[in-house]
Amino acid sequence: MSKVAKGLNKKGTVKKSLLSQIKKNKLAYGLIAPALIAMFVVHLVPIVSGIWMSFLKLNQFTLKKFLRAPFIGLQNYWTVLFDPTSTIRSGFIDALRNTAIFSVICSFLVIGIGLLLAILLNRKFRFQGLARTLLMTPWVVPSFVVGLLWGFMWQQDGVINKLLVDIFHFLPEGPYWLTGPKVLIAIIIPTIWRTVPFVMLMLLAGLQQIPVDYYEAAEIDGANSWQQFRSITLPLLRSVLSIQILNGIINYIYSFNIVAMMFGHGAGFPGKYGDLLMTNINRNSFQIWQFGPGAAATVIVMICVLGLVALWYKVFQDDLVVND
Amino acid sequence: MNKKLLSKLLVSALLVTSLAGCGGTTTNTANASAEGSSASQTGEKTVVTMWIMPNSGTPDEDFMEILKPFLEANPDIEVQPTVLDWGSAWTKLTTAATSGEGPDITQLGTTQIAAIAAMGALEELTPIYDRFGGADAFYEATLPTTKILGAGDEMYAAPWFIDTRALFYRKDVCEAAGVNPETDFETWDSFKEALTKMKDVEIDGKKITPLGMPGKNDWNVIHNFAPWIWGTGGEFIAEDNTTCVINSDEAVKGVQFYTELATEGLLSMAGLEKNSAEIEATFNEGEFGTMFSGAYEIATLRREKPELAEKVGTAPFPAGPEGRYAFFGGSGLSVFKTSKNKEAAYKVIEYLMTPEAQVAYQEKCGNLPTVKAAYETEFVANEEMRKAFKEQADFGKAYPSVAGWGPSETILQKGLSNVWDNVMGVFGAYDPAKTKEILDQTASECTVIYNEQ
Repeated sequence: MSKVAKGLNKKGTVKKSLLSQIKKNKLAYGLIAPALIAMFVVHLVPIVSGIWMSFLKLNQFTLKKFLRAPFIGLQNYWTVLFDPTSTIRSGFIDALRNTAIFSVICSFLVIGIGLLLAILLNRKFRFQGLARTLLMTPWVVPSFVVGLLWGFMWQQDGVINKLLVDIFHFLPEGPYWLTGPKVLIAIIIPTIWRTVPFVMLMLLAGLQQIPVDYYEAAEIDGANSWQQFRSITLPLLRSVLSIQILNGIINYIYSFNIVAMMFGHGAGFPGKYGDLLMTNINRNSFQIWQFGPGAAATVIVMICVLGLVALWYKVFQDDLVVND
Repeated sequence: MNKKLLSKLLVSALLVTSLAGCGGTTTNTANASAEGSSASQTGEKTVVTMWIMPNSGTPDEDFMEILKPFLEANPDIEVQPTVLDWGSAWTKLTTAATSGEGPDITQLGTTQIAAIAAMGALEELTPIYDRFGGADAFYEATLPTTKILGAGDEMYAAPWFIDTRALFYRKDVCEAAGVNPETDFETWDSFKEALTKMKDVEIDGKKITPLGMPGKNDWNVIHNFAPWIWGTGGEFIAEDNTTCVINSDEAVKGVQFYTELATEGLLSMAGLEKNSAEIEATFNEGEFGTMFSGAYEIATLRREKPELAEKVGTAPFPAGPEGRYAFFGGSGLSVFKTSKNKEAAYKVIEYLMTPEAQVAYQEKCGNLPTVKAAYETEFVANEEMRKAFKEQADFGKAYPSVAGWGPSETILQKGLSNVWDNVMGVFGAYDPAKTKEILDQTASECTVIYNEQ
């Protein structure tokens, strides 16, 4: 976090005292004040109380005291990471591994497919508007509906196996997609299906900002399309891409709706190979009432994500500077 | 200058509207509470607020219809029901229990009563049981769920309705397989034999799967395992009320008997990824020879597949080697300690416990009444398929009503899901020893929860 601030300061104007700045830009501050207060209430307060909760013995018997529950230091963190008898520990490592695999695969595929589609849609062709609209539809479907529908389609006697076995004869027998390691495929595909349109739209907007002259000049110089893509498109898309990568990392790590809905509308257990961090933490916090360890696990995840964001910032630092 | 003025106006307008928003709510609540307190004094209507679950198709309308005779007889009472969703009810109930901002009456699932009562949020109802005709008026198996197990005899709820699962079977499938439904569904062994006979039956060219049951992705996973665990002499919790014994030899034997129906091809494997509603729909499509389901299925079957309904019969849950048990769940009604209209709330509950109101409500919801007298009415006589459910009421069994039961359900659900995964070959070929290993882990996790305080 501090790195981000430092980076911005480098580019920022001469430092003045906060008060004089506020005085000078009274109107601007007045206009953002309501949003700032709202953000403070809905983000900062819960984050701070969540961190505080991770140091408390907070279960169904102490819930009534809420933030005044007994203080137990780092014990919840120990429970999450090392206590073999705790309910949260037994699945936490599985969930961590699944989330990592899930996030990496989704990140690469979503950006890859999104970029490909954006480049295709950037060309002029007949029914371009129709294609664009159709490609956008998955994004309009709420994510919990996506989980519900795909959960239904993945069933052993569901429509996906009907297609694979009875119609196209790709497989001799329909597999159980919602059981065992194949679960990961069953949650990755709907996530990609739902996320690609948004990424595609952002990349398309980025592509349309690249002046056509560049490509014309490159063509005169004899560059083929791959060279044009590598030397013009990719570098000029870097800032849009970097934001999409960050957006993706955060979204995938905090994925919940699709997985939760796909397994019995929140009732089921996605299994050793399908449980993600958020479904795991949700189950332990709100169903098993381990609010303390649940909060500790959330803080651990938050620290990991902050680390990833810092890494991301280091890699894409230069792309975030607005050229003026 | 003009611009500045305009923006200042805008900002102040924003502030005023947001403040007005806050002001509005406070005055409203102030008014409401003023009305509430003055009601009892001035003889105006007392408003009883109530949380109910989606018990029927149109929950609030159906409920209000049942209340009509009561409201006519008590013009000074008004009842305002709010329908909660089972999924979010947990959170709402615990919030109400901790903050004190709850309704007067709430419906609670039988497994939730002890947990909420242990939080000190519920009014003890023992003193008013006389108004329901005493505890004897209810089926005995419904009463333990109104108490906190091992913490005295105080009752914190009045049992409202029973949810229990009996066997639904296809008469035509039985006939084709040479199964006699009158005798062959009596014990586990004869039941298994009957399923084996159904294995090769075809009806109208369609191959029948003998038994259809939801597996993992369902709210009812534990309910479906419970009678199999009890039937071999197993239990969920030891007598000390703190040790989970789902890994005892008896319990493991029952779990294995049930799950091995799948490995032997008697229970639909594809069904194990479905939830209860989907299994019922598949049964209604004529795919299964038998299934275990609740009494609500009768109404669905009659409404959606009247032709198939004629070919369907019901039988009580078969007897295990160590006894005959059926899962008993359902709901009770409780009064929050913070309620300001307790006397009116008691009156409402008293009315809902009358046999007439119980029968009328279950005609709409499709579950079963809790008061014995309700079964003497035409409720059972009118519907052939309800007879098995009435018989089953005599050997119903509820979960141990300890405070940690609610939180532990999720762990049991996870463990039993893993047992199904074992059966479905996720950990390699099916291994009975692996089932024991999974249940050991489940038991140790649950014991942690039961020991919490």
